[in-house]
Amino acid sequence: MRKRLFLMLFVAVVAFASCSKKKETPQPAPAQTTKGLFVLNEGTFTYANASLSFYNFDKNEVENNLFFRANNAPIGDVGQSLTLIGDDLYIVVNNSKYIYKVDAKSIVYKAKIEGFTSPRYMLQVSDDKAYVSDLVSTGFWVLNLNDLSKTFVETGNTTEAMVKVGDEVFMSNWSNYYTSSETSNNTIQVVEYVNNTLVDEIEVAKEPNAMVVDKNNHIWVSCSGDYMPPCEPSIFCIDAATHQVIRRFDLAEGSYPSGMAIDGAGENIFFMNGGYGTLNVYKMSVDATEIPETPFITSESKVFYNLKVNPQNGDIYLTDAKNYVVNGDLLRYSADGTFLASFELGIIPSYMLFN
Amino acid sequence: MKKLFVLLFLVVSFAAMAQDTIVLQSVEVSDYAIRRNQAETAMERKMDTALLKRLNTITMSQLLIQHSPVFIKTYGPGGVATASFRGTTASHTLVLWNGFQLNAPTLGQVDFSTIPVFMTEQVALKWGSGTSANSGGLGGVINIENTQHFGEGLILDLKQTYGSFNSFGSYITAGYSWASHLLRVKAYRTSSDNDFEYNNIGVIPHQVMKQKNGEFVDYGLMPEYQWRFRNSLITIVSWNQWSDRNCPQIMPNVNNSSTKEYTENGYSRNFISYKTYWQTGKIEIKSAYFYEKQHYFLESYTDIGTPVTKINSINDANVFHQIIDLNQDVYKSWKLNAKVQWDHEQVSSNNYDGIKDRDIMSFYAAMTGKLLKPLDLRLTLRNDLVDWVSAGFFPTATLSYSCIFVKGLKINVGYSHNYRNPSLNDLYWNPGGNPDLRPENGKTVDGNLAFLKKIGRFSLESQVGAYYSEVKDWIQWVPTTYRYWVPENVATVIAYGSEVHLKLNYNIYHCKFTVSGNYVYSHTTDESGQQLIYIPWHHANAFAEARWKMLYLNYTMEYSGERKTSMNANEFYGFRLLPYTLHHVAIGAQVRRFNVEFKINNLTDVDYMAVLWRAMPGRSFEISLNYKL
Repeated sequence: MRKRLFLMLFVAVVAFASCSKKKETPQPAPAQTTKGLFVLNEGTFTYANASLSFYNFDKNEVENNLFFRANNAPIGDVGQSLTLIGDDLYIVVNNSKYIYKVDAKSIVYKAKIEGFTSPRYMLQVSDDKAYVSDLVSTGFWVLNLNDLSKTFVETGNTTEAMVKVGDEVFMSNWSNYYTSSETSNNTIQVVEYVNNTLVDEIEVAKEPNAMVVDKNNHIWVSCSGDYMPPCEPSIFCIDAATHQVIRRFDLAEGSYPSGMAIDGAGENIFFMNGGYGTLNVYKMSVDATEIPETPFITSESKVFYNLKVNPQNGDIYLTDAKNYVVNGDLLRYSADGTFLASFELGIIPSYMLFN
Repeated sequence: MKKLFVLLFLVVSFAAMAQDTIVLQSVEVSDYAIRRNQAETAMERKMDTALLKRLNTITMSQLLIQHSPVFIKTYGPGGVATASFRGTTASHTLVLWNGFQLNAPTLGQVDFSTIPVFMTEQVALKWGSGTSANSGGLGGVINIENTQHFGEGLILDLKQTYGSFNSFGSYITAGYSWASHLLRVKAYRTSSDNDFEYNNIGVIPHQVMKQKNGEFVDYGLMPEYQWRFRNSLITIVSWNQWSDRNCPQIMPNVNNSSTKEYTENGYSRNFISYKTYWQTGKIEIKSAYFYEKQHYFLESYTDIGTPVTKINSINDANVFHQIIDLNQDVYKSWKLNAKVQWDHEQVSSNNYDGIKDRDIMSFYAAMTGKLLKPLDLRLTLRNDLVDWVSAGFFPTATLSYSCIFVKGLKINVGYSHNYRNPSLNDLYWNPGGNPDLRPENGKTVDGNLAFLKKIGRFSLESQVGAYYSEVKDWIQWVPTTYRYWVPENVATVIAYGSEVHLKLNYNIYHCKFTVSGNYVYSHTTDESGQQLIYIPWHHANAFAEARWKMLYLNYTMEYSGERKTSMNANEFYGFRLLPYTLHHVAIGAQVRRFNVEFKINNLTDVDYMAVLWRAMPGRSFEISLNYKL
């Protein structure tokens, strides 16, 4: 009896001890990207589970987790934005504070640029120069695209969205959460790109978060208002040539305009508005004098998170972040707002980029 | 894993079939002389006090994951370690120290890496209806108690450890114990560079590197006074602890020298208790004052060198506890336990809008007795007032049957209804705190078969149990109109599973063998049917020790099954935590008043992650020297 018991125990212990570490079978490398749409999934803050997805137009299907599959490593913590320069795709990883440079076709790693504080967006301003905005530093970074070295330009404010019109780059100053109260969060700073010098500052409402340029070289800015009430959510239209605000549209208290996008012809702007988490999509002509009252696409319990319009056929792409902890969806609508298809993406799908 | 479960079950039932003499559970001399009712002990398990003494250089988090059914989510040495009791989350494990809640009023959780086993003397786990005396332990309760020491004379116990990564530990217990007085001080200091080598799989290409920014130092001091006179006992204890810990970055972020992140925590937990006994009962009146300071700091530097303070969070918590606890024999085998408790929590935090406080008044009564000869019953009822408003009535029932056909076999079933108050962070965090939160409400049904047996030199203690619980109004932080998140009562969580516990002792000639183990299956889902993140479906541990004269050799195993890190049905490749098994061995010798031990942790140098992208040490060594008067 005793012997048998001990034998069994021995077997039990050995069984435990021999539970060897299982390896997940690695997935095949992703297919080469062709014509389609990249979507960067932010992932959960501090979990480093950002991922890259690609919607292939010809195959009409989405391939997920490209970066991990190509490089056997995670993108990092909070995938913020994507920039395509030549054959290279730059992935800005906000809370990991670096930018990955990968081959845009194979997504295979090429280089890593480090030393940012809180990098947000990257904009190519000339053949060998790009700007990187930073949420926490009071200025922006100038990146040399040849050797990937960088310098910092102090502007006094943190930087967010960027657009380039002619010789000038317009940078929105969205946040002053982590900086002193002297830094502004209701301005657009204008930088002359050849010498990287600050030339002007345009006052808008608080928290200008996104910008697009229309056919008239007018810059459309969505301002989310403020973190805490009272807010002043609004949309501004600025003449890029004169730096003057030519129109201002105030939105209801508590609304959250974001995801500013424009069609290929530069004739209609699209933006999301409503309560955070219950946003609808609005379409507005650049000549309009009033904000449309009825949404162009209603959320219908979806959690719209970002918006992009295909410049070629006018298709509208929206990401649905769902409950922010499960994989979100890519939603495709036709130019007239008809729902076409949805595809599963990663956690908090946000930044979209046409390839 | 399933096979293993069957195997363990077989062992238990085999042993149950072989009838012999019964082992009585050792009678507690440390607490009141009243023998406890079977139903009262059905939903609890005391950890071996001899084991606690020997393992006193580890933290409570290591003790629990290696020797109990409680699963620990650990961020690594010197990092936060939280408990998952029966598949629930960290805030559902209540920790009581001599009856006073240790869960911080701010976060509602306990960081088990900050409780050194050295500072404890008795640890018991309680679950289901065993958690009835307090709110909050929807998963379970971990009970830590101080015990009595009289007539032992001079007390002197010195222990020094040194291990890999420049880790030091010094432990001193000194004092004097008279026939009716005890004066004793416990003091310790642990520190480590914690700069172990690991394979960083979060960078491209994967790279073997040393962990940076993981240094920590902890120290503590616990003076204690006990005075026994006639039938009374007065105890005064003050538990003081400080820790200064740097926080290492997650694997993809390690090359960022631009981040400085640390925590500085300290607490002082003080209580005075007066107990008096009489023929048929006892009463205990105790009062406590707990102070806790939490400082979390995160700063980023740019390449240009300007530091930007991102988070500098300081919380000061003051908690006052008053307890009156009465035990009285009522009629025949029936006993009454009545308790009135008043807790006043007060938190001053730069994350709140002003100082916030809360009063919790609790009235509790328990009746235990024999229904029939082999049938013990325990019924409890509690009513809590939260800020002087009733939170409702919470009953529990436990039925315990001592099998008349198989001696030593007991069948226990229980039902319990309990609740958990939102933490003060949930209520008052600025921005986001939601003062309209309802408490979480949990109901549990559980049962177990417990078997104690002694056959000659051989003794067995085993338990096989299962539970089912439902928590309504589960609090989760969700996004709102503004960009901050707000906690809401959104989910219903269902947790069920089973537990197997086994312990064997075998003594022959000069040899003593001990084998013990725990296996737990937990299935915990919300309405989506997906397992909650970081809760393994399977986890297990085992301990085996052989002693021969002055020498001993022991082996510890811990196994964690696969875990998810998101609520997705199909997680992406690379983001699911793989199962791992760790093996630790120790060899030691006792020579007169000295004990020398050499320990190898993670013997097989397993490369694993306990939390996604958090580095864990491979094989490491520790040597310890102990002198005991």
